[in-house]
Amino acid sequence: MLVDPDLAWLHLLSDVGTGLAYLSIPAALVVFALRRRDLAYPWIFGLFALFIIACGTTHLAHAWTMFHPNPLAEGLIKAFCAAVSIATAITLWPLLPRLLALPSPAALAREVEERRAAEARALDSEARTAAFITNLAEALFVLRVERQGAAFVTETVNPAYERLFGLPAAQVVGRDAQAGFIPGITERVLPHWRHAVETGAVQHYEMEAETPGGHRVWQTVLVPMRNAEGEVERLLGSARDITETRRLQAGLVESARLATIGTMCAGLAHETSQPLNAALLWLRHARHAATGVMTEQGARLMAAIGVVEGQLRRAGDLVGRIRGLAAAHAGAAETFDATAVVGAAVRTADGQYAPDGIALSFSAPSAALAVTGTPAGLEQAVLHLLSNARDAVLEARAAGAAAPARIAVSLRQAGRQAVIEVRDNGPGVPEALRQSIFDPFFTTKEPGHGSGLGLSLAAAVARGMGGGIAAANLPEGGACFTMTLAIAEPTADGLAPLPVAC
Amino acid sequence: MASIARRILVAEDEGLAAMAIEDELLAQGYEVVLAPDGQAAMEAAARQPPDLLLTDLRMPRLDGAGLIRALRATRPDLPVVVMTGYAPAGGQEAFRRDGEAPVSLFSKPLDMDAVLAELRRLLPG
Repeated sequence: MLVDPDLAWLHLLSDVGTGLAYLSIPAALVVFALRRRDLAYPWIFGLFALFIIACGTTHLAHAWTMFHPNPLAEGLIKAFCAAVSIATAITLWPLLPRLLALPSPAALAREVEERRAAEARALDSEARTAAFITNLAEALFVLRVERQGAAFVTETVNPAYERLFGLPAAQVVGRDAQAGFIPGITERVLPHWRHAVETGAVQHYEMEAETPGGHRVWQTVLVPMRNAEGEVERLLGSARDITETRRLQAGLVESARLATIGTMCAGLAHETSQPLNAALLWLRHARHAATGVMTEQGARLMAAIGVVEGQLRRAGDLVGRIRGLAAAHAGAAETFDATAVVGAAVRTADGQYAPDGIALSFSAPSAALAVTGTPAGLEQAVLHLLSNARDAVLEARAAGAAAPARIAVSLRQAGRQAVIEVRDNGPGVPEALRQSIFDPFFTTKEPGHGSGLGLSLAAAVARGMGGGIAAANLPEGGACFTMTLAIAEPTADGLAPLPVAC
Repeated sequence: MASIARRILVAEDEGLAAMAIEDELLAQGYEVVLAPDGQAAMEAAARQPPDLLLTDLRMPRLDGAGLIRALRATRPDLPVVVMTGYAPAGGQEAFRRDGEAPVSLFSKPLDMDAVLAELRRLLPG
């Protein structure tokens, strides 16, 4: 018991102040622990609170015992405080390494920052990939495999896919890939899809077909993607459009073949013309000799000479036509307006075909299309194409086609080329014959109808005018013959003729 | 019939055709010199200068085009009629090289009446 009242007050106030302050700190700790539910080791705050409360209580007990001395109660309170303190200390030291291992707020902020940067990089990369896929020249598609390959669903396609197959993404994405793809082609690609699913091996295949986008040849690579269970879950497909490459290759082969045929025809014409020439000259001789014989035998001789001469002339005409093939691109080349010449050919044909009930239409640009060659050659070539179209529509009619016979001729400029298209609604050109129809003497017509030289002549004219000719079948039925001609290059002096290949 | 016989040099490697042509020309009153190829025609022309050349194009030794150039080198105005089994690309336009044009072109088998008419045009009187 302190006797100095001032000193007693100092002890009293200090103990009460410390005790009250000690009691308020755990309250703050408890509020903090309750609000921050994500704290690691929240119970340690409880322990701290108990420890501080115990310490505060010893101070308050000391102040109380200044007035009501009770050494036993004070001792017990101190003992409790000591127990809690020791327990806290014992708990705290082993916990220290684990508390130190907790990330500091600064470390957390750094990590958050790193993750944000990584996310931005990923988004950026994703955007780049998306832009890449969108602008890729190759068609890409993703097929989801359903029921172990019994069904396929198109998950996504890129714009090149839409262009290649002429199928809008909206029409295929999310739909059954078998029903959504092009009828007739699905059956041919399906075995490859199934094989990819069954074997898990990358598939390569090439297809050629009429698509809504036109005639296409493409090469597909199919990559199976497995899921965690090792089952093929998706097929990533890329298809390369090789239509143009194939066309160019075919064009080269075709040119070489036609050159061979041309050389052969020219040789044949020459070699055949020699004996024909001698035979006709001698027949003329015979005719002179027989002219004076005014008997029945003489008359029979003259008749025989007439028959032989007629047949030899017929053979001579054929030789002349074969020669015409080789010389179709020859003649004095001049630069002229293709629109006028094609228009004239269409009018000529229209007059002839109208009685057969064939509707012939013609569309052309209003501006002149300057090409170089012989106007008569081009007119003949167009007339041959028209005659071919007429035979096709009449064939369809004979086969019982209900649609009215139609031939549509159009002329347009595409880049540096004038394009003449002759479309008919006949039976179309059988795929197997598409190349041979331009061969000399190739004909599908009855003997005596068509020499089989018209289309080859048209082809020769087109080649002679710096272009070519091709046949395709229209998706809606019928054939389309496309003739291209080089546009005459304008020069300072106006229009310059193309060099003539002799 | 020509009052003064005009001499036609016929260069043709097909003997049977050459004989028949010779008969036709003789009957029209022309003088005819036959040569089986371009080289022989050159030699014949040196001995007996022709008023007109009637020639094939494809012949052994010297072809028709070579023959025309050689003869026109000394006789630029020599009339020339070409008979050929080939249609030279471009017809008469094909004979555009120096010393080749102009020529009258006939394809085989020949239309002899047309050939004779052309000869009358080129060798009037």
